[in-house]
Amino acid sequence: MSIINLQNITYKYPLTDSPALQNINLEVNEGEFIAVIGPNGAGKSTLCYTIAGFVPHFFKGEITGLVEVAGNESSKSSLHEWVLNVGLAFQNPFNQISGAKYTVFEEIAFGLENIGIPRDEMKSRVEDALKLTGISNLADRSPYSLSGGQQQRVALTSILVMHPKVLVLDEPTSQMDPIGTREVFGVIRKLSEKGMTVVMVEHKVEWIAEFADKVIALHNGSILLEGKPQEVLTSDLLTDKGFGISRYTSTAREAKELNLWKQKNLPVTLDEAVEGFS
Amino acid sequence: MHERLSFYVKRDSLIHCLNPLTKLTLVLAFVWVAFLTPYYWTPHLEILFGIIPLSFVGKVARSYLNAAVRIILPAASFLFIMQGLFQPIGSEAFFLFWFLHPTRESVMFAFANATRIFVMVSSFTLFLLTTHPSELMSDLTRRGIPGQFAYVIISTLQILPQMQAKAQTIISAQRSRGLDTESSYLKRASALFPLVGPLVFGSLVEVEERAIAIEARGFTSTHVKTSLHDVPDTSLDKAVRWFFIALALIALALRIWLS
Repeated sequence: MSIINLQNITYKYPLTDSPALQNINLEVNEGEFIAVIGPNGAGKSTLCYTIAGFVPHFFKGEITGLVEVAGNESSKSSLHEWVLNVGLAFQNPFNQISGAKYTVFEEIAFGLENIGIPRDEMKSRVEDALKLTGISNLADRSPYSLSGGQQQRVALTSILVMHPKVLVLDEPTSQMDPIGTREVFGVIRKLSEKGMTVVMVEHKVEWIAEFADKVIALHNGSILLEGKPQEVLTSDLLTDKGFGISRYTSTAREAKELNLWKQKNLPVTLDEAVEGFS
Repeated sequence: MHERLSFYVKRDSLIHCLNPLTKLTLVLAFVWVAFLTPYYWTPHLEILFGIIPLSFVGKVARSYLNAAVRIILPAASFLFIMQGLFQPIGSEAFFLFWFLHPTRESVMFAFANATRIFVMVSSFTLFLLTTHPSELMSDLTRRGIPGQFAYVIISTLQILPQMQAKAQTIISAQRSRGLDTESSYLKRASALFPLVGPLVFGSLVEVEERAIAIEARGFTSTHVKTSLHDVPDTSLDKAVRWFFIALALIALALRIWLS
């Protein structure tokens, strides 16, 4: 059953001439893990904001088409109801810290305070969320004293604690080291296996290949490609349009021209490359 | 430097246990009495028998006295000197020097004002030292202050040191590209422009992102907000509040009666 349903979405930010999104049609099933890739200005963040309800409720501008999440229509809901279903975490962790809280624990409880969760339930939910993302040890620190990667985890945790049905993540690991990235991807996969729907903008294609169920390649505000990670991420179209691709794919492509790559499909991850070359 | 964004000093004391509103009432009563009293010695009594003992009860005497000696006292002294010299009241000057002629009245006036300011700043310092900002915010929202209002106050307290840190980063970045910040005043003034731009515009962008972030966490939700901290409000709190309200009223009555 599809939980996210975008039909013919075209959207223009206020005071701009060209649309940021053009004729977007997208259906996401419950529990799917979708990765969105695209060069700068392709409309990745705008797509995230649209699913999360901030387009058009927060940014205004002109939108045509239908946005439906969990059976509700965006144009007929208000933003504060919408965010109960769709959680959004974005790139810059520093600006996602509320600025009104003095410890990480309080920071994560902020959203639950806003939606009126009773104190005992609030505490246990915050503790569970901290455990889930592995930052229980930071609970008493000030959110501003943390590193970028740690702050990103706090931002992610403070959304997860709200128990949304759909999780929209705009480059949630941009400031993390490889170990942090692996852990966060692990957490997100765990959630997705438990049935949470995830839409994630990400540049780290090797991770996408390993974790995502489906990849959407955006270019100039429209969907260029959509499909299995392996197909989309190795497509020749990506290189022509200026997408970042995996170094293993580009190496194997060169190798293929020299007749050194004998497999049918190009690799995306190191493991695939090793297997293919050996 | 980000670790310490508030004045709050964590201690286990009677004052720390009081409800924030009680402490706020106490502070306002102190200030009210200091400004309304018809007697010039009242602020001294407040300092000697109110503020200083309370700082010991609250186990923050060290931090308080430190601030009092290093910041509050110099500021009050400066106020005293300026007002004593320039307040154009009274006729009999103590001495004449150039155009300065302090009179008995102007010195008395300056002294009274300086002690009032001393009481005011001291009692607020004591309040900030013993009250956790989160508790203050929780308590005020529970009492019906709009969440947005509480957010503005509390986030301003936190954001100022961050802006300061960011300004420092921008200055360092511009200096590394050859911006002159150390020669003549005129040059330094013109050097301000490339600094202010990034700071202001950067902050505007941040405001938008922060608005999205808190909105995503249900900030404008129509539910009745709950709070993580339980801020107790005991009968002792109520008694203390009424006592200080009574004291404030007595000061007002005395003022009206004696004038």
